Amino acid sequence: MDGELPRSKGMDQALVAEASEAPRAADLAFDRLYRSSRDDLYAYVASLLRDATAAEEVTAAAFERAYRKRHRFDPERGEPRAWLFGIARNAALDELRRRGRQTELTAEPADLQDFGAAEGAEQSERRLAVSAALERLAPGERELIALKFFAGLGNAEIAQVLGISESNAGTKLHRAMTKLREACDGIA
Amino acid sequence: MESPREDQLTADLRALRPAPRPEFAAELDQRAAAGFPRRSRLGKKGAPAFLTSMRDKRPAHPRRLLLTAGGLALTTVAVATVLVVSNEDEPTHGVVAQAVEHAKPKRNFDGAGPYVPSRGTAGAASSSEQGSGVQYEAEVETAPSASSAKQIVPFSQESPSFNSSFGARHRDVERSAEITLGAEPDDVADDAAKVFEAVHAHDGIVMRSSTHEGKAGEAGATFELLIPSAKLGDALAAFSQIDAVRSRHEATADITAPTVSAAELLKESRARIDSLLGQLEEAETESEREAIEVELQHERRHASRLAAQLDHLHRRADFSRVYLRIATGESNESSGGGAWGVDDALGDAGHILAVAAAVAVVALAILGPIALIAFLAWLTHRAWVRRERRRVLS
Repeated sequence: MDGELPRSKGMDQALVAEASEAPRAADLAFDRLYRSSRDDLYAYVASLLRDATAAEEVTAAAFERAYRKRHRFDPERGEPRAWLFGIARNAALDELRRRGRQTELTAEPADLQDFGAAEGAEQSERRLAVSAALERLAPGERELIALKFFAGLGNAEIAQVLGISESNAGTKLHRAMTKLREACDGIA
Repeated sequence: MESPREDQLTADLRALRPAPRPEFAAELDQRAAAGFPRRSRLGKKGAPAFLTSMRDKRPAHPRRLLLTAGGLALTTVAVATVLVVSNEDEPTHGVVAQAVEHAKPKRNFDGAGPYVPSRGTAGAASSSEQGSGVQYEAEVETAPSASSAKQIVPFSQESPSFNSSFGARHRDVERSAEITLGAEPDDVADDAAKVFEAVHAHDGIVMRSSTHEGKAGEAGATFELLIPSAKLGDALAAFSQIDAVRSRHEATADITAPTVSAAELLKESRARIDSLLGQLEEAETESEREAIEVELQHERRHASRLAAQLDHLHRRADFSRVYLRIATGESNESSGGGAWGVDDALGDAGHILAVAAAVAVVALAILGPIALIAFLAWLTHRAWVRRERRRVLS
């Protein structure tokens, strides 16, 4: 399972159908879901928690929880990736709630920022500006951006994860991107 | 269509995407390949820190909780059913019946002296009843020499006066029985004769009897008997041998309290008589003597009534009333002494099911509100958790 993990934007319904046919099929479907979502899920959780160790714990817990519940997944209620990210979101928010680390959402995630060494100075500077601009966003806006660009979810999947309509998700995402751009301009 | 600036921002954002450590990715892949074994099992083999640290955070599976709760409820219902059914199988009158079952007769009834409730425990009661008078001795004459049903049982619920008078724990138990024998019309006379023989053999008394001849259903006999309580079991066994037993019921009643009360009152009355006799001897004037004699007469009547009452209570304890019926023709009653058949089995099964249903209803009455409260608590907790999660990102 090492190496390049394919992105799972195009996971089709056939995979989900397999999950409901037999335990073995469900295992295979979950394996594929895991392979396609491992890094995306970690990236999303890490952006929420802003703590690499906690992100690892929550990512592992979310996968385990999803694995235990894999037979209960109802394909009619949404995409498997959205279902998995919903579980991870709840786990991450519970972790934040439990540790009382809400304030840390606005803290600088130093251990997550490791870029610039191999990049050009201009590019490095730009990315630092983007990173700083991200920090100026509200946690909810930052989560939207994480779901879109870190986890690679589509608007429909984001809507399912957040429990809002797809158009609402698109609108919120657009606003968040506008704010991010403005913040980048402000920093520049 | 995204502008070049938009493309650049998107690329920058993707470049900022946090990536997992290779070690963590490898560990997670291992766990995924093993089907995400439970952390408790991993912990024993030295699981990664990030996994073992989460061990205690995972909430119990709702389905497992439901199964556990269901199993617990089922066990409770089963135990309650067993308890109820086993209680119903025991003789009637609960504690008293158990006392009759297990205790041995202890009453010392020698047929000449006053009533002594128990060997070596009469104490003050015995001595104070020495001068009990004619009535009390008459009771002894009417009572048989057989030992009575007064027994020592391990109870501690007697009144202080009871303990102070008798010094030990006693129970006066009145027993009664009903037995119905099924017979052919031609056998009724023979069976009735055998009943008389059995009563005589067990020192019993036939209070009332009647015999009818005729066809099946008409012919029969009824007996009202008094059997010495100590011999009741043997007598019932003898009656059961006469013909087929159609039904048999036994009952017990605790008459300790009225017996003790009557004995206490009698004792006080006799003490009062003794005192009045003393006063009579010392009386100096005629009017004084007359007044004492009137009072003495009144007290003697009172003592006589109490002695009769006590006598009656002793008879009730000493003799068991037995109603015996010899019936002919079809019986609607289930046979108590006949072979256990399909009808009996169906009856028993129905009874057990009825008891189980009753227990289930009681259990539901208890578990229902608990389940409702638990459900409401769960809903509240869920709503609270959702609100808290929203607050985290607000």
